[in-house]
Amino acid sequence: MGMNLDRRHFLGLAGAGAGAAALAACGGPSTGGTTPASEAAEIDFSGVKPAASIDFWTSHPGKSQDVEKSIIAKFHAKFPEIKVNLVTAGANYEEIAQKFQTSQAAKEALPGVVVLSDVWWFRYFTNGNIIPLDGLVKQLDIKVDDFQKSLVADYQYDDKQWALPYGRSTPLFYYNKDHFKAAGLPDRAPKTWQEFAEWAPKLKASSGAQYAYIYPALAGYAGWTLQNNLWGWGGSWSNEWTINCDSAESVEALQWAQDSIYKDGWAGVSSKEAADDFAAGITSSTISSTGSLLGVLKSAKFNVGVGFLPGGPKVESGVCPTGGAGLGIPSGVSKEVQLAAGTFLKFMTEPENTAEFSAATGYMPTRVSADMTSVLAKTPQIKTAMDQLAATKVQDNARVFLPGADQEMAKAAAKILTQQGDVKATMTALKSTLEGIYTKDVKPKLKS
Amino acid sequence: MTRQLTDRPPAVVEAVPAPRRRPKWSSRTRRDFFVFLALALPNLVLIGVFTYLPLINNIYYSTLDWTLGSASATVVGLDNYVTFFTSADAAKVLGTTAVFTLVTVGGSMVLGLLIALALNSKVRGTTFARSAVFAPYVLSGVGVGLVWLFIFDPGYGVLAWVLRGLGQQSPQWINDPQLSLVMVIIVYVWKNLGYCAVVYLAGLQSLPQDVMEAASLDGANGFRRFLSMSVPLLSPTTFFLLITTMLSSLQAFDLIRIMTPLGNGTSTLIYEAYLQAFGAFNRAGYSASISVVLFAILLIITVLQLRFVERKVHYS
Repeated sequence: MGMNLDRRHFLGLAGAGAGAAALAACGGPSTGGTTPASEAAEIDFSGVKPAASIDFWTSHPGKSQDVEKSIIAKFHAKFPEIKVNLVTAGANYEEIAQKFQTSQAAKEALPGVVVLSDVWWFRYFTNGNIIPLDGLVKQLDIKVDDFQKSLVADYQYDDKQWALPYGRSTPLFYYNKDHFKAAGLPDRAPKTWQEFAEWAPKLKASSGAQYAYIYPALAGYAGWTLQNNLWGWGGSWSNEWTINCDSAESVEALQWAQDSIYKDGWAGVSSKEAADDFAAGITSSTISSTGSLLGVLKSAKFNVGVGFLPGGPKVESGVCPTGGAGLGIPSGVSKEVQLAAGTFLKFMTEPENTAEFSAATGYMPTRVSADMTSVLAKTPQIKTAMDQLAATKVQDNARVFLPGADQEMAKAAAKILTQQGDVKATMTALKSTLEGIYTKDVKPKLKS
Repeated sequence: MTRQLTDRPPAVVEAVPAPRRRPKWSSRTRRDFFVFLALALPNLVLIGVFTYLPLINNIYYSTLDWTLGSASATVVGLDNYVTFFTSADAAKVLGTTAVFTLVTVGGSMVLGLLIALALNSKVRGTTFARSAVFAPYVLSGVGVGLVWLFIFDPGYGVLAWVLRGLGQQSPQWINDPQLSLVMVIIVYVWKNLGYCAVVYLAGLQSLPQDVMEAASLDGANGFRRFLSMSVPLLSPTTFFLLITTMLSSLQAFDLIRIMTPLGNGTSTLIYEAYLQAFGAFNRAGYSASISVVLFAILLIITVLQLRFVERKVHYS
C-alpha cells in the first residue's frame, strides 16, 4: 500500500489544514433553550466547608501585583486553611474577560475570584456566569454598608449584589504645574472646558509641548472619558436604554472636541496611553484614570497637578464617571470554592487592605472607614480623587451594559477626532449600531 | 496471449474461468502497512483532533446564535451568514482582507526577489546580509509589533523624531484607520520578506548555469537574462511562495492584534472573527460563520492556484 503525496496534494492539504487551523476549538453550548441570566436566588452556604485552595484571576490593575501578593500573604497568615493562587489572567480587563469567557465555554479551570471591569460584569450576569453575593454577605458578615455607596451600587441589579468594588477609579485632570506657571495660569484644573479653551493657546505658546491637551487613546476606553464632554454639554451616549448619542447636545460636544484639534489646533489624540504622553512632557494636560496616578508621579520629571474633570457649557459639575474593576465569584464552581472565594473577597476589601491597595496604585479606597491618613501624607493627590467621588455620575447604560459598545464608541471617536469625520453622520451611524446591539444581545435577556 | 487462447481446444476455451481472487497481502506488504500506520497514525490522529474536528465543530457553531460564555444557544441555520453578508461590515472586512493580502504578498515577493538578486551576487558580506534579512522572519510577531509601535508613535517615536527634524508632523499612524492599515502592512512585509528572499535565493542558485551562460554568449544582457530566463525558470519557486505567503497573509494575526487592538481599519477576516468572539461582542456563532467564510476563501484560492496557475509553471 503506497501513498503518493505529490506537490499538488501537499499544497492542497496545506491549504485545507491552514484554513482549519485558523478556527477555534472549544466546548460547545447546549441548544435546549434560551440563555438564562444568573439566578438571583440567594445561595445558602450554611454547613458548607470552604475549599482548601482557590485561584484568584487578576490583571493586576494599576501595576498591583506586588501589593496583591502582600495582601494574599496576610490572608494566608489569617486563614492558613485556604490557599489562594494568584493568577495573572491577562494584561488588562479585556484579556482577563477573554480568558474567563473561554473557560466558561470549556466548562473547566474556573477561578474562585475574578477581577471584572465596569463593562464586563453585566455580561457575566446576563450569561449566568457569576453568583449573587448576598448569601455570602450574610454568611460572612461582609459590611456592605461600609463601602462607598456609589461604588457598591454599580454592581447592584435585580435587587442583588453581583460584585464588590476593588480597583475603582475615576478619571482625573492631570496638568503640568510648570507649564501652567510659565503660561501665567492659576495652579488648578480648569472649571470648564470653555475656560481651558481660553488657557490653551497661552499654554501651547509658552510650554514648548506639542499639545496643550491630549485626548485619551481611543483604544484606551475613549467611551469612558468622553462621557465627561458629553455630559458637560447636556448630552450622553444613552438615557437608560434609549440611545441618544446623536442628540444635538452630544453632537455639539463632540464637534467642540473635533474643533479643538483641527480648528483651534491646541489638542491632539494619544496613540497609546495619555498618561505616558503626559509624563513624557508631550502635552501640558490630559485626562487619565486615578489608577495611573502613582505611575505618573514616579515617571514625570516635572511638578504634577491633578484636579476634578472640567464641566461644560450646560453642566458644570457632576460630570465625572466612575470606572475600574470589582471582584466577582463564578457560578460554575462548587459551593465550597465559592465560600472560600467569599472569605478571600471579604479580606481583600477590608478597610486596611483597600488602603494598602490604594497607596500602592492610586486607586480609590473602596471603604468609608479606610484610614487613609498615612497614604494621603505620602501622596496627597489621591485626596482629589477621593473628593471627586462625591461629584461622580453613574455611567451611561450604552457604555457599560452593551457588549462591544465601548469599541464602537472608540471607532466613532476615531472617525471624528482623527479623520475629521462628520460628527452628526458618525453619531447617527453609532446610534444605529448601538441600538442593534441592544436589540439583539441585551433586550432578550432582560426581565420585562 | 489472445492467439494462444484461440488456438486451444474449444472445451478449454468455453470453460468458465475461475473467479479472480483478490491478491492476498504478502507478509511484507502487511508489515509495511503496519509500519506506515505506526508512523502516520499519531500524526493523523493529532491532525484529526486539532485541525479537522475543530473545523467540523466550527461549522456547527456557525449555525448557532451563541454568546461566548453562555451555556446555551439557539440554532439559527444560516442566519449568521446572512447577517454577515448583508451587513455594512462585510464589504469593509473583505476589502481590508483583500488589500492586506494582495499588498503583503506582492510586496514580500517582489522585494524578496530583489533582495535575493542582491544576495546572489558574489560580493563581501552577503552571509551577514542574508542573516540580517532573514532574522525578522524568525522573531516573535508580538515583539516585532511592540518595537514597531514605538517607532511609529506620533508622540515620541523615532519616525516622528526624524520627521520633526525635517520640519514635518508625524502622521497619526495608530489612530487613523487608513494609516493603521499602511503601518501594519509595512511591518508585515518587513518581517516576512526575508522568507521570500531566502526561498528565491535558493531558486536562483539552482538555476542551470550552462543555460544562463549560453544566453549570455548569445548577447543577452543582465536584465534580459533575468526577464527571459530567470523569471520563467523561477516559476516553481514563485508558485510555491504565492501559495504559502497568501495563506499566511490571510491568517496574519499577531501583528494586527498587537499594533491595532481595536482592529480599526485593520480588521481582516481572521481578526474580525477574533473580535466578534473574543474581543468584546462575544458573538461566538457569528464569529464561527466568519471563520467558515475565511476557510472557504482559502480553499477556493488554493484550488484555483493549483488548477490554473500551476499550468503556467515551468518545472524544468
